[in-house]
Amino acid sequence: MSDESNPHEFGEADFRSTVHSFEFWFEAVEGYLHGRPYGVSAATKEAELTERQRQALITTLCNYCVGETAALDASSGMIGFAPDRHAKIFLATQVVDEGRHLEVLLHRMAQLGVAAPEAEIEKRANRSLLKFKDRLLEFVDARDWEASIFAQNVILECLEFTVFRHHAGTADPVTAEMLRGIVSDERRHMGFGENDLGRRLIAAPHTHDRLYKIKRELDTLVLDTFSEALGELGVPHAERPDLEGDYLAAVARLGFRS
Amino acid sequence: MADFLANYSIQKWLESCPQGYLEDTVFGHGPDEREPDDLLKNESYREQQIRTTVQLIAGERCALAASSGLVNAAPDQASKTFLATQTLDEGRHVEIFTQRLYDLGIKPDDLESTIKTYINPHLGKFAEVLLEKVDKKDFVAGVVGQNIVLEGMAFSVFEMLHTGALETNPKFAHTLSGTIADERRHVGFGENRIGELIRRYPERKADVQRMQRDMTKHMLATFHEAFSRSPAVADTVAPSGRKSNATYQGLKLAEASNEEMESALSATVLGEFKTRLGRIGLEYQSPV
Repeated sequence: MSDESNPHEFGEADFRSTVHSFEFWFEAVEGYLHGRPYGVSAATKEAELTERQRQALITTLCNYCVGETAALDASSGMIGFAPDRHAKIFLATQVVDEGRHLEVLLHRMAQLGVAAPEAEIEKRANRSLLKFKDRLLEFVDARDWEASIFAQNVILECLEFTVFRHHAGTADPVTAEMLRGIVSDERRHMGFGENDLGRRLIAAPHTHDRLYKIKRELDTLVLDTFSEALGELGVPHAERPDLEGDYLAAVARLGFRS
Repeated sequence: MADFLANYSIQKWLESCPQGYLEDTVFGHGPDEREPDDLLKNESYREQQIRTTVQLIAGERCALAASSGLVNAAPDQASKTFLATQTLDEGRHVEIFTQRLYDLGIKPDDLESTIKTYINPHLGKFAEVLLEKVDKKDFVAGVVGQNIVLEGMAFSVFEMLHTGALETNPKFAHTLSGTIADERRHVGFGENRIGELIRRYPERKADVQRMQRDMTKHMLATFHEAFSRSPAVADTVAPSGRKSNATYQGLKLAEASNEEMESALSATVLGEFKTRLGRIGLEYQSPV
């Protein structure tokens, strides 16, 4: 093992055995989860929401739950065909991250007075996001590692990273703090996807073409998700944040340009 | 059901496990704890420990595959989130036992070949029976196989190894104590969640009991092969020079024969199975 404390200074083998480990995961999450039950510190106070704001937030949280359930089902399913032990252990940490995200989102919905979250999610879920979830789980069921890791740890994580970061900037204090914790996890998941696919693309450049085809298909669903979600929330066009641009930029930063 | 599942939330898990009994540990043991020198210098004892650790890794790999595979089959969100914590627990167990192999002198490049050399073939068959149910997304059979049978076996094996290591290898004993605490939680979930599902779907009983019988057969064969391959002194006892006073199920480990050890472990695990299966409304099936 290298003596350097910065994992980015490590060689590939040391990097993988260090970063893809329970120990590394726990040190990473401890900083932003300790003393924050359900992702929020006791000192953070509830802001008063109007009924319209409350309903909009519930709709948004329902859609976040769809995304996180997709990520939980996909990351757990991928352990069975992950190419090596390090990838399996990293995915095990991701499974618990995604499960935690789902749990804190459901907890927030309960705080907002939602008694039957499952029914509410079914009622309010965005159609394009549900299609995205189905497509992702098709890749997982087919045990297609490249497509699964790309759809989940690049596309879905970039989608969530973009939306949660934007939302954290405008949300009430409790929701904002909860989302900031989730965003910290998403960064780690995106890093894994970028690292894994980066190595694969160097070894097999023809994989690029295949992943671009998948990207084109999934981009449409992601962009439709943004558009539908903002429309359902009644955000006027002029006031809509540039989620599409930010999402495409986040994916491009990982090496997948449009 | 909701109240019981609230006790298995990720928040509770975070507080009790990583922020609880694993706080200040490295790979499950104290940062300054090491494998004993006399173990590392005694080639036959070191090999015996490598063989034992390989079986632990194989069992934990199976548990990781099973618990992660069951997330997608879980019928409700609370079960999914519990299984998410179990997935990471099992991933951690794979990691710490793999690290123990490295601590025993195995090089990372030789990991898979070492596992292949020492794995007990009956343990592979035991895993196959369970993973077949998981692959079919059979949640009821999968949780009984994983959280009652596999975890019940692991719990007893870990306890026996822990008893033997307590005086002679505090590092390994410490590593095991965290896994025992995890397994206790997993078994608790299995009993609570599946009891309710078995009551709701009584027609599943026969198939699940058949799986339990097959897994038990392979488990007993695993124990038999493991003890018949061990040197005369049981696996949990240190090399000569440090006599352990540890006792397990009334047996003095330093003096017990392999047959006595096998018999004590088998009787303990089967007793646990009968009790736990009874609690969820299933009847223990003896292997033919």
